Amino acid sequence: MSKGNFEPKIIGFFCKWCTSAAADLAGTSRKKYPANVIPIRFFCSSRIDPQHILHAFRNGADGVLIGGCHFGDCHYQNGNYKTARRVAFLHNLLRDMGVDKRRLRLEWISAAEGEKFTKVVKDFTEEIKQLGPLKGNEK
Amino acid sequence: MKKIGVFICHCGINIAKTVDVEALTEEIKKYPGVAYAENYKYMCSDPGQNLILDAIKKQKLDAVVVSACSPTLHENTFRNVSERGSLNRYMCEMANIREHCSWVHDDKEIATKKASHIIKSIIEKVRYDEPLEPIYVDVTRRALVIGAGIAGIQAALDIANAGIETILVEKTPSIGGHMAQLSETFPTLDCSQCILTPKMVEVAQHDKIKLLTYSEIEEISGSVGNFKVKVRQKSPFVDWEKCNGCAECDLVCPVSTNNEFECDLTSRKAIYRPFPQAVPNRFTITKLGQPPCRIACPAGVNAQGYIALIRAGKYKEALELEREANPFASVCGRVCNHPCESDCVRGELDEPIAIASLKRYIADFGSYPVEQKKPTGEQIAVIGSGPAGLSCAYFLAKKNYRVTVYEAEKVVGGMLVLGIPEFRLPRASTKADIDHIKAFGVEIKTGVKIGDKLGIEDLRKNYRAVFVATGAYEEMKLRVEGEDLPGVIHCIDFLKKVNLGEKVTLGKKVAVIGGGNAAIDAARVSKRLGSDVTILYRRSRKEMPANAWEVEEAEKEGIKIEFLVTPNRVLGTNKIEAIECLRMELGAPDASGRRRPIPIPGSEFKIPIDNMIPAISQKPQIDWLGEEFERTKWGTLVVDPNTLETTVKGVYSGGDMVTGPATIIEAVAAGKKAAEAMDAHIRGVEIEHKEWKKARPAPETLIGEKKVPRAEMPKLSIDRRKGFDEVECGFDEETVKQEASRCLNCAICCECLQCEKVCEPDAIDHDLKDKILEYDVGAIVVATGFDIYDPLSLKEYSFGTIPDVVTSLQFERLLSASGPTVGEVRRPSDGRVPKRIVFIQCAGSRDKENHLEYCSKICCMYTAKHALLYKHRVHDGEPIIFYIDVRTGGKGYEEFYNRVTDEGTTYIRGKVSKVYKDNGKIIVLGADTLSGKQVEVEADMVVLAAGIIPTKENEEFVRKLKIQCDANEFLTEAHPKLRPVESNTLGIYLAGVAQGPKDIPEVVAQASGAASKAIAILVKDKITFEPTIAGVDEDLCSGCSICVGVCPYDARELDKEKMVVKVNAALCQGCGSCSAACPSGAAQQRNLVDRQIEEMVVSVLEEK
Repeated sequence: MSKGNFEPKIIGFFCKWCTSAAADLAGTSRKKYPANVIPIRFFCSSRIDPQHILHAFRNGADGVLIGGCHFGDCHYQNGNYKTARRVAFLHNLLRDMGVDKRRLRLEWISAAEGEKFTKVVKDFTEEIKQLGPLKGNEK
Repeated sequence: MKKIGVFICHCGINIAKTVDVEALTEEIKKYPGVAYAENYKYMCSDPGQNLILDAIKKQKLDAVVVSACSPTLHENTFRNVSERGSLNRYMCEMANIREHCSWVHDDKEIATKKASHIIKSIIEKVRYDEPLEPIYVDVTRRALVIGAGIAGIQAALDIANAGIETILVEKTPSIGGHMAQLSETFPTLDCSQCILTPKMVEVAQHDKIKLLTYSEIEEISGSVGNFKVKVRQKSPFVDWEKCNGCAECDLVCPVSTNNEFECDLTSRKAIYRPFPQAVPNRFTITKLGQPPCRIACPAGVNAQGYIALIRAGKYKEALELEREANPFASVCGRVCNHPCESDCVRGELDEPIAIASLKRYIADFGSYPVEQKKPTGEQIAVIGSGPAGLSCAYFLAKKNYRVTVYEAEKVVGGMLVLGIPEFRLPRASTKADIDHIKAFGVEIKTGVKIGDKLGIEDLRKNYRAVFVATGAYEEMKLRVEGEDLPGVIHCIDFLKKVNLGEKVTLGKKVAVIGGGNAAIDAARVSKRLGSDVTILYRRSRKEMPANAWEVEEAEKEGIKIEFLVTPNRVLGTNKIEAIECLRMELGAPDASGRRRPIPIPGSEFKIPIDNMIPAISQKPQIDWLGEEFERTKWGTLVVDPNTLETTVKGVYSGGDMVTGPATIIEAVAAGKKAAEAMDAHIRGVEIEHKEWKKARPAPETLIGEKKVPRAEMPKLSIDRRKGFDEVECGFDEETVKQEASRCLNCAICCECLQCEKVCEPDAIDHDLKDKILEYDVGAIVVATGFDIYDPLSLKEYSFGTIPDVVTSLQFERLLSASGPTVGEVRRPSDGRVPKRIVFIQCAGSRDKENHLEYCSKICCMYTAKHALLYKHRVHDGEPIIFYIDVRTGGKGYEEFYNRVTDEGTTYIRGKVSKVYKDNGKIIVLGADTLSGKQVEVEADMVVLAAGIIPTKENEEFVRKLKIQCDANEFLTEAHPKLRPVESNTLGIYLAGVAQGPKDIPEVVAQASGAASKAIAILVKDKITFEPTIAGVDEDLCSGCSICVGVCPYDARELDKEKMVVKVNAALCQGCGSCSAACPSGAAQQRNLVDRQIEEMVVSVLEEK
């Protein structure tokens, strides 16, 4: 089965204060990156329930990228700590479910890091390409 | 089904170039729920907005999606349009197909496809959006400004001048901050105090400003418009309503400590005013608590206090202070076991202060005739005239009670005169203390033994209360065979006879059994009576309970001590001839914690002896008291630990009678405690309890101190110790003053009360407590300022070891007309005028590897100013500045710098690697990068331009206020370019160096900026909050309260009656943590509920 034509579908859950703003900055700076990541904007990464992530995988996502603020910078004090804990827990669960945990990536990207945002999207898209479609998603 | 309108913007070619907007529009028209779709060149323009407005009205749209740029730019714009179209603003959402799509992709097909997904996801969101109403909150029209340096002062004045009440809180006793410490300010060389003090006075007199100095923020809760603040107003121990700043107290205070305002160039008194122009112009006492010596003393004698008074030469006052807690100054000055000295902090540096011996000095030389007093109050009886009984009598007599002391012996003083030998405690010394007690009207009846003719019951009838303190003088027996043979004299009996002048004949060889103070006393007395003395002790030296210094003297006097030996039998026919002893070894510890002595079987040996003096402890004689006086199992009286009352009402007891043999000072303490309890009971009030906090000097204080040995007590040489002359000779005045100056003043203010005595308005109040004040405020300005980077960490520059290496702030004080040198530039070491000063810029700043990475901004300018001012005052002086760059980026700054270089300052480009002393001269070793050489400059003085850091309180503040600080602990602004005076938390604004290094004009500008932001909130009656908060579906909520713990704002609370959680809409900031944590889905963030997220995810992943 050729992976050459495989275009991953990746959902980006981004917090509006940091990562989404970084994405805005990447846009303003006219950076270019693959179009596989579709952003969904939250007030805080801590709004993201692990159920939403599993829902994404169940409905066709090959990868999920979560973007929040660096520790200490969360607009709501400590939301990112909660996200970090939930994702750590979910990583274990994914492994038990037979899903490669690399398909769920958590990144801290501040509003000033347009460059980093671009790089992460590129890297992650490439990584998911290499991993191939999530089982059950093969067409 | 909602009728959704979708409006796709071309944004000129920004979107349209890479996204096929026409095809997209057609596709979207077919999407379920879309009632109308249109595209236009510029949606945010007037026609664009009208397009949307028309569509809303004509198509009767329920919701709107504008697909265009980032919502950070125009969400508000399009929501306002919706409102104009009578559509709830929260039914309008934006889809970002520009920054997130058209600008970052090249391929039109791919970009259009992605845009389609993005728009569809927002359509799904808006499908389930609900109309929301903004949350309105009343605004408290009051501001809080934290910090009263120039930033806080300016902000407070601006807000107050807008007619808004402002609370200004400052942690030091005066406002003014660091600007008050400066001499002149660049570039105009205005006198700093001259431009600052008018503002300070304006603050003090402003009717809208409530000034709280010497105060700190204890707690803050709430959110913008409604903060609740608790302020701790620390006690200055001076009533500022009464203090008139006359400064008489400053003259008499005997304690000096670091002068913070003068940057430790001089000292200040414990009672002080930070600087003469302080606002408020009042005095403050720095009192850290109670010193360890006072806390260690069972009677609470104010040792630090009387030592401070000795330093000031006020011996009479010192003795008065000592006698407030302990009448036995002469006695304790000689024979106290001084637990105070064991806790003396000086002992951590070199040796403890000779506290007891200093007390002896003032007792011997500070005496003054006391006018005889005649108390008129109720009558109290005391039984026993030892230290416990007499102390009790003394404290009661001082409270105006008429006290009669009944003493069985013919002499007064108990063990003090009957037990302790005169070479340790001369009779005259004891008499001096007893006379002092009698001067208060205490009557002593000697030769009356209660229990003979007069019984305790008689006393109970005739007196209001009774204190029984007959001590513990009944000897414990050895319980060995032959103990009753003639020649065996028990210790107490022996000492009493000798002390009363009775003739006691001893043989040549004497053995004393025991290891306590009584045994040592008996041994030393026997030696003086001509015998050869050996002490037999059953444990080892370590376990001896006698004072170590007494044991040392005994051995010096030729007394032998045999350890691990105990008498087994006393041998002799008609009298004692020998003792059969057993050797001992130490086994496991017993109840006292000391190792138990165990006899070694078969180790018997004989010592031929003429007399044996057993001194193995005593017990109280209480048989004469009836059964109603409950006893402990050790044969002492049971008393209430708080009042010392026995089990018989109105009869109190203390001293050795209750504790068994103990120390004099414990007896005194017991007497005092009982007196207070009796007085409280008689007056029907509660016993006053003092809560004492142990104070210690800051660790930095010990670093600077040099080691100085403790004064040695001169003693009679051994050959002169034949009779009973006092062995210790006492200190002379010079020694006493020197020893007293070793005191570290642990508590700083020692409550010597000299200030109280000279304060005419009677403003001193040592019992004044901190106050907690509570306020509601609507907005807060944080202006907490800065500190200097610790120059001690710049080890290579020898700050602290070379006295003429100073910081820039210290140099300001030297330049200042009100400073320690009245504005003359002089070296701290010898007061000489320096002829060459080397200034080192970037001392600690711009050093990523070792110190601060950032530039402290103000140092280039102030160093230039320092060089210029130095040159103005010392015309032939030579200023040399080592620099990396010279940053002079303000108005008039470059011109000022040129002036400085023109007027004779030398700038050398290079970093200084070392400052050291060579042959008494200061050498600065640096680089000159422009010539490529190393340079060595000999300097008279070195000034370090130390970096500035935020005050250490910032770390705590950010947690209290829930704002952020950056990696350098400067407060973080909302946006570094566009929002420099706002924190990330609504309603909290930033001003001054707390937010980052800056100079005075920038500080003032920022303060006014912060003030204007605060005013914008405070002029409103109500403010609105975004309603996208998390609610509670009470039907689904089980009251598990997981969400309560997860909320960073304490916005959720369990209603214990209904067992559901309630949310405070004003506190909820809408992060959504609770919604993710809630197991039942009861907590949902409005317009971002789980259903919406799931539908958005599905729409994005669908292939159609």
